[in-house]
Order: sequence, then structure tokens, then C-alpha cells
Amino acid sequence: MQVSLSWLSTHLDLSSYTVPQLSDLLTFAGVEVEGIEERGVATDKVVVAQIQSFEQHPNADKLSVCQVDDGSGALRQIVCGAKNFKAGDKVPLALPGAVLPGGFAIKEGKLRGVDSLGMLCSGKELGIGEDTGGLLIMAADSPVGTPFNKLNPADVLFDLEITPNRPDLLSHLGLARELAALTGLPLKGERHHANASTKTKAAAEEQIVIKAAEACPLYTARIIKGVKVGPSPEWLRRRLESIGLRPINSIVDITNYVMMEMGQSLHCFDLDKLKGGIVVRVAAEGEKFLALDGQTYELKTDDLVIADSHRPVAIAGVMGGEETGVTEGTVNVLLESAYFAPSGIRRTSRRLGLSSDSSYRFERGIDPQQVQGGSELATKLILTIAGGTAEDLVQVAGEAPKLVGEVTLDENRARKLLGTPDMTGDEIHAILEKLGLTKKSASKHESHWGIPSYRLDLQRPVDLMEEIARVIGLDRVPSRQVAVASPVEAADRIYDFAMNLRQSLAARGFFEAQTLRLIADAQLADSLGGGQGVAVKNPLSEDHTTLRPSIVPGLVATAALNIRQGLHRLRFFELGRVFLTLPKGGSREEERLAVLLSGPVSPTSWHGREPQAADIHELVGQIQNLTRTPLEVRPVKENGANYLLTSELRAGNRILGWIAQLHPARAREINARHPVYVAELLISALRQGSTGPTKFEELPRFPGMTRDVAMEVPADLPHAKVAAFFATQKHPLFVGAEVFDVFADPSGTKMAKDRKSIAWTLTYRSAEKTLETAEVDAAHTAILTALEKSLPATVRR
Amino acid sequence: MLSELDSLKTAALAALESAQDESALEAVRVNFLGKKGSVTALSQGMKDVPVEQKKEVGAKLNEVRTAITEGIDTKKLALQAAQDAKAVEGIDITLPGRPGSGVGALHPLTQIRDLAIRTLRRMGFALAEGPEIETEWHCFDALNTPADHPARNEKDTFYLPDGRLLRTHTSSVQVRTMEAAKALPIRIIAPGAAYRRDEIDATHLSVFNQLEGLYVNQDVSLGDLKGTLEYFFREIFGPGTAVRFRPHFFPFTEPSFEIDVKLEAKGKEARWIEIAGCGMVDPAVFAEINKARGDTLFDPDTTTGFAFGLGLDRLAMIMHGITDIRHLIENDVRFLQQFAA
Repeated sequence: MQVSLSWLSTHLDLSSYTVPQLSDLLTFAGVEVEGIEERGVATDKVVVAQIQSFEQHPNADKLSVCQVDDGSGALRQIVCGAKNFKAGDKVPLALPGAVLPGGFAIKEGKLRGVDSLGMLCSGKELGIGEDTGGLLIMAADSPVGTPFNKLNPADVLFDLEITPNRPDLLSHLGLARELAALTGLPLKGERHHANASTKTKAAAEEQIVIKAAEACPLYTARIIKGVKVGPSPEWLRRRLESIGLRPINSIVDITNYVMMEMGQSLHCFDLDKLKGGIVVRVAAEGEKFLALDGQTYELKTDDLVIADSHRPVAIAGVMGGEETGVTEGTVNVLLESAYFAPSGIRRTSRRLGLSSDSSYRFERGIDPQQVQGGSELATKLILTIAGGTAEDLVQVAGEAPKLVGEVTLDENRARKLLGTPDMTGDEIHAILEKLGLTKKSASKHESHWGIPSYRLDLQRPVDLMEEIARVIGLDRVPSRQVAVASPVEAADRIYDFAMNLRQSLAARGFFEAQTLRLIADAQLADSLGGGQGVAVKNPLSEDHTTLRPSIVPGLVATAALNIRQGLHRLRFFELGRVFLTLPKGGSREEERLAVLLSGPVSPTSWHGREPQAADIHELVGQIQNLTRTPLEVRPVKENGANYLLTSELRAGNRILGWIAQLHPARAREINARHPVYVAELLISALRQGSTGPTKFEELPRFPGMTRDVAMEVPADLPHAKVAAFFATQKHPLFVGAEVFDVFADPSGTKMAKDRKSIAWTLTYRSAEKTLETAEVDAAHTAILTALEKSLPATVRR
Repeated sequence: MLSELDSLKTAALAALESAQDESALEAVRVNFLGKKGSVTALSQGMKDVPVEQKKEVGAKLNEVRTAITEGIDTKKLALQAAQDAKAVEGIDITLPGRPGSGVGALHPLTQIRDLAIRTLRRMGFALAEGPEIETEWHCFDALNTPADHPARNEKDTFYLPDGRLLRTHTSSVQVRTMEAAKALPIRIIAPGAAYRRDEIDATHLSVFNQLEGLYVNQDVSLGDLKGTLEYFFREIFGPGTAVRFRPHFFPFTEPSFEIDVKLEAKGKEARWIEIAGCGMVDPAVFAEINKARGDTLFDPDTTTGFAFGLGLDRLAMIMHGITDIRHLIENDVRFLQQFAA
């Protein structure tokens, strides 16, 4: 909300506060100052001057030497660069000693050798307008020598963010009231409650009917006849313009003024355009309404309207109608001032996408006690500015709703909550009283408070404690730190485990990515793991429609982005959440780790040799090193359209995740130069593998011996089958085996196409002694015999 | 014989001088001192030397033998030294190192989150988490947010067809934690993603990262809140950092504050930067939790607590001077590698 300091100053004298002090005052009262704009000049040293004569500067083509009358009686010489003036024009003159907006100080001096005793100013230099490319030419009747700020008062505009709990601050009077409370300054003058004097008895009484008392508990109307609508006077136009409102005509301007002055939103109808009396009712389903903004709205039975006997003439509290608005030709008006319940206004405004200064205030809640005062102030201003005669105020639908009551404050509770044990009862009382609360009674630790009608937010004891905290500020509260030991939670263990994975991968040369969890439908085909994501009902764009069922699509997009930047060695991982739709409805969220790898195994360097491109075994190896468990890579039947070699990664019976090569067709789409490999792992499955502290195993005291075996097996015999054979051998001397060579010849020349040769090293050892060759040979033979029995293998001897 | 010995010595030393490697040295040793070497041959003539000369010739013989042996040892060391020097010949030590498997990096958001978590853990907070797909009750109702609150409409919040929503803040983890709590105190932090229906631009993401904190016990005061968060931000931004609390409004805390820290950008005047929201848990939240639990663990008359939430993306941007929030989700390696630890 835009707030004018000069407007505020009509309510209290803020002259002892600087702008930064006021800004701090508001900030620490909970009103955020989002911007400050200083307009015009505060100094008296800018005066109206008249140009008597001017001539070309002897040493500069673009400058003129002017003789001006500054009202002192003597002529003053000023060098000036503008060209838009003539002799006789009245212009603002900044005298030496003046400080212009932005801190620019005016001094006597010489310009290109010619004395210049001040500066003639443009509007922009005085902070009151845009640059027009020359001096501000003032009205011909401006008195010479008059301080400029007498004709154009300086002002400071605050752009304030008023929190939704403080609708009472959405007016100049409301803010002034708050500042008065915080500073102790007295509020000036009347508080707009006096009745306007009327000579005519109201005739409208029978003509107003309320059919929706809950949404509109209080409605007032006043008829003013014989007004003359025209432009508003200067002071009113300036007030509205200063806070960014466009003056329209005197009647409309007055209603806007009253709203910004005291927060009461009003509406004026052209009485002669109303057909029959006023009815406050809900709209008929599908009823059409042409609003002041020129749009036609279709209404529902949820919407409250003000209607005449034929049609709606206003959407209550939101916007008036085009057909019954006040125009230059209006003679008789009906002035509405009402209280509309916030929730209805909010619903209607939101559904229609129609919001106004008026709806903004009603939906946050106005002070029901100000309804009549708003009408009175507007009436007074209309009578003064537009003339006419007012009838008595007509008030229907009973009385103003009572929205606030009394609150009892347990002062010890307050001290405890605020952490201020030393705060006295007197101090608490003083704070609440200056905020306008009325002390009804007080005992030792308890006081009972009446709440002013405009403080809708003060309903409970804690609301009063908040007020105390706001006024004393946190500087007054001593800091306290009580560290309490907390038992480690499951979330802690998961976090630490995930952090270790992240650090391991970063140390292995991988970059951690963080991609958006909302992905496009088109990206779903890049998913790994086969789950279905969760579609959002109201996505912002087709790029972000679905909660990802897999992290890999994000990493593929990351690869694509980096390839566009010319990078072809790609190593990324991301650890985060995926979302899976469950077959029976509902969804599940789980943490996963995805890895993407493509391009040379190491970065290129001055050695000049291009390192070989990684193959899929590189990625398997990286995962193996990360999980430190033997992995079984088990191909799955369905690859998915965007993948080849899709396989499960298993440790025993646990599925740890999936690995695959991005289909070359898909890799070409992202212009990948090398094959792209991806994997996605389940954090919960990885964690199952890590149980408790490691148990130490005694180191072997005697040397082991190795024997190699080469064998021919069918080409499609999985490695895991052979590994499983060795893993289950129970021979007391056999320690373990490792594959060290694999040979196959797809061309079929050196070996049948459907066969492959594999070679393993077997290790034998005894815990008791150094083995004899014969003992090892016997053990080896036994194992090879078992091998040929359990596997389709031919051992080469 | 004496003169013969002298000339042998001269010849041997000359041969040593010209020897270029170990085998040449060995040849010299064999030629002069070996079984059939010339010095050995002469020494066998000792028996024929007249007695009065034996002493002189013997001494000479020793002198020659010692000179040749020492010559060989000295030359051997010299040759070894020359060879050792050759071992590093041609190495340009000024060249950069081999890259190995390269340098990776943790994402800056991970780094800042970890810093925040480590700091808060030192103060006795444990981690908590909750689902990102939430019910309206957990995200709004339980947090004292009225049904017609602007944040709840479909313009600002993502909904699923089944009526659930994507949590708009991690504050829903407060509710999850209090719902499941067995006893007081509760002292948790919850890092996590949150969602708002904002168009993505330089300062907004539709999915962003928050860190939530909650401490509930008997008699937790505003002083605890202040002490905890002052400590936290001074740990993050440095011990002298000025921290201020501005009164604000949130539906689920009262009183509520926004926190600013005073930071200097390079070459600019220090200014207050908004960094977090916080407040004392509103009794209405406790009442709603009790209703859901069916007990009074969170008795609004005796239980108090504070909660805070901060934007990790914003914290990372402030910390590192990142000018466009989209860098945080694009994962350009040129960006990521700047944060290699």
C-alpha cells in the first residue's frame, strides 16, 4: 500500500522523525517498508524566479546566461543549459545552500568562466516528475520569491506491506493511530465520527431491503440531491495522485479518498439510474453483471449483489456497475457504506478473478464501527465540494456486528512465553493501553482488557502477548540457549548414509546435480525402474506436469544441457526423492541415487593421449566400489524404448537398482558423442547392506597358493552363475576365486560364436601351516571336478 | 720393479678415467687386481726381490693396490651419481598433474544444507522428515490456515486429482512430528523440498528447498528462539554478524518474526537481507494436533515452542553471490565445478 507522509501528517506531527527513523519505526512494528520515494523538495531555498533576460554564453554554445528575478529585488545571474524557456517565464530556482533530492548541494560558482549564483531546475531535479528535457515552467501567476514547496509541497511515499492480520492499517488514519501508539505522539483533530448535519428527513428507508443478513449485517445509505459533479479540487487530486490513484470526478474521488483516509470502502450510485429500491441479495445462478471495468461477469448464488428492482447494480464490496455509476451528468446520488463479511467477498473476488481496493479491504475485515463514520465524512466532503442537500442516514439490518470482545491476560504466562521474567505489570499495562486497549480490571498477575473495534486480530491472550513482543522488540528479550541432547532419529541415519554416498561419488569425479522433481510427460520414457509417476492436477506448464518416478530423466536433461555447452565427458549423480503411483491408488515416496556416465574414463590432459571411452562395466565398477558388495547384473526382459542392456543390480536377494545404456537413437537426440550409461539405486536397499560396526577377521599367518583355470562355457552363461559356484564351495583349503580373463569371438573364427572362454584364479590357504604343492593340487582337482559337474563348462587342462 | 709398479698405477688410473660404465670398471679391476691381473702378477715376483728392498717394494705394492681400489670405488660412486641424475633427466616438473578420474563436486545446495544441519545438530536438533505429497490438513488446517486462505487456491498450490497437494512448505513436517511424538521435548530440523505454483524466473522456482526447525517443551520462550537463531546465523555467516528480528505474521506462529542478517556484498554498503521466518507455535496448532491425537500431550496451557523456516536456495544464493536461482537447477558443469570442495 502506498502511504503519503504528508497525508499521515494531517493526523499527527511527525516532524521530529527523519524518514529513516520512520521507516525503522514501521519495520519494527511489523509493517515492512518495501520502498521509499521522496518527492519534491523540503528546503525553502528553492524559490519561484522569473527570467528577465538571457543571452548566449560567451564560451559555450550550449549554455545561456540568464538574469532572473528571485524576489529579493536584485537580479541574479544564472548559467543554464536548458533551451525550453523564454523571457518572462517563471521557473524554480535553487539558491546556494539548497540541497536537492539525491543530496545534490547547490553552490555559487563559475561555469566556463561566467558566474552562476544558483541553478534553474527541471521537474526531475526537484523529484516531482519525469525528465521533460528542460526547466519546469511554472504557472504564470506563481508569485516570484515564494518557496517552491509552498506551491508543490514535498512528500515522502512509503510502499508498505501490511500483513493480513492487520487490516486496520490499510488507511492513513489507521497507520497514524498505530504510529501514535508507538511514539506517544497525540492524534490531531476529529476522528470522523460526528454526524453530518442534514436538513432533509430520509425518504429512502422503505426502499432498502436486505435479504442476506449474514453476508451483509450492516448496510447504510444516504441520498444526496442536487450535486454538481466536476473535477475535484487541487488538494483532493493531489492526495489521490500522490498514492497512485487517478482522479475521476469529485464524487468518485471523495469515495476513494475516504477509503484511503479511514479504510471504509464506499460506493456512490446515480440515484436516477436506479430502478426502484435497493435490495441486498445473493445473485441468481448465471445472472449477468456489467461492471465498471467494462467486463461482464456471470454470477453464482454464492455471490452477494446490490440490486435495484431490475438487476444487480454492484457486486457487493467488490465493484459497482457500469450502468449506475456516477458521471459528470449525475445530479442525485445514493451513497452506500456497509460492512460485508470477509469470506464471501474473498470467495467472489477469487472466483471472478476480480479484485479491487475495496474487496482487498473487505476480505481482510474492516472495522464495523467505522461504517457510519465513513458515510458521514463522505457526505460532508460531497456537500462541501459538489454541493447539494443530504438526507438523514438510513441504517438497515440492525447494527454493526461485534467482532471483538474482552481478553484476559495471565501476565506470568506472558513473561514466560516472551522470556522476560523482569517485565512489570505496569509495563505490560502501559503497552496495551497505548495501543488503545482498555483495562477493565487487574489483579496481581491477571488483567482484563477491552479491545478496540478496529483490532480484529486481538481475540486470545496470545494475541496480546504478541502485541507486547512487538512493542518491546526482541532487543529487550535476553538470548537463551538450552542444548538438549536428542536421540538419533531414523532420518539422521538416512541423511548420514546419503551424505557418505554423495561424498564418495564427488571424490570419484562425479558432479552432484539437483534437478526439478516436476518433469514433462515427454521425459517419462527416460525413467528407469519401471514405476509410474504422480501427475499434478494443475501444472504450470507442460514442462512440469508429473512428479518424477525416476531421477534419471533429470540427469539425461542435465547431460543434454552440458553437451550443448560442448562437454562430452559426463559424470553426474543425483540423490533425492521419487514418487510412485500405487496400483491400488495413493502414492509412495522413496529416496534414490541416480548416476550417469559417458565419455572418456579420465579427463584429457597434456599427455596428448585421448583416454578410452568408458563402457558399461566402468559404471558397474563404480557402483561396485560405492556399495562394496558383490553385484549381480541380471538382464531384464523389457528394455524400455529408450534403453539397451537394461539390467537389475542385485546383491543376493535384494534388488539394489537398475543399470542400462541409453539407446543410441535417444543418445543421438541429445547429440551425445559417446555411449551414455545410467543407473538408479534404491537408498533403502543400499542401507540394508550396511549393518553395524565391522567385525575384525584374523589376518592369515601362512602364505596362500594360487591355481588358474581356463574353461569354455556357453556364451550366454551369466557371470553370476560361475561366481555363485565358487562362492558356495566348502573345501577347507579353498579361499576364493576371481575372474581374470574373458574371451569371445562373435565372428566365430577363433571360437564358436555361441561359446566363450573364461579364466579364473583360485586361491588356497590353510590357517595352520604352509601348504604342500600336492595338497593344493588335490584340492584344485576336487573343485574342478565339481565345477564340470555343476556348470556347462569344459575345463582346459 | 718399483718403476714397473709406478707405470702400472698410471696405466690403471688412466683406464679408470676412461671407463664409462660398471662393466668397464670391472674390466679394469680384473686387468690389474684380478687373479691374472698385472698387479697380482708383479706381487707374485715379491719372493725374488732382495731382502733389503722387500720393505720398499712391499710398501709400493700396497700403495699401488690401494690407489687402484680407491680409484675404482670413487669412479663407481661417480658413475652411480651420474646415472641417478639421468633418472629425472627430461622431466619438466613445471607441468600440471595428471587428472586421474577428475574432480567432482557436491551441489552448492547440498553443501549449504549440510553446513546448516551440522550447525543445528551441535545444538541438539535431530532430523525429521515427511512426505512431499501432503493432505490439506497437514499442510494448512493443522497449521491454523483458514479454508479460504489465499495460499490454498489452485492458482498458488499444486493439487493432485485425489485432493492431496504438494506441500507448500516444510512446516507440514512439524505437524507430522507432533502427531507421532511419544513425549516432549521435540527438537527437530527438517530439510526438504516444497512446491509453489510460481513461474520459474531469476528469483523463483516452482520446487525449492527449505529447512524447518521446531522445538516444543514446557516453557520454551522467545528468548530460546532468539538465542538459537542468533547462534545459528553467526555460525553460518561469521561471529560478528548482526541479526535482527522484525515482527511479521504467519498463521501458525504468534508472535511471528522475519529474520534479517546484515551482510556486505563486495564493494557495497552492508544491508539487511531477509533470510528466515520464525515464531512461537500458535496455541491453535497445539489444539488441532491434540484433537488429531486424541490426547493432551501438547497442552496449550503449559506447552510452548518455537518454529523457524528458511529457504536454502536463497541462503546459497546469498552465501555465494549467485545472481540467478535457475543456476541451481540447470547443473551446468561450469557452474558446479566452482563449488568443488
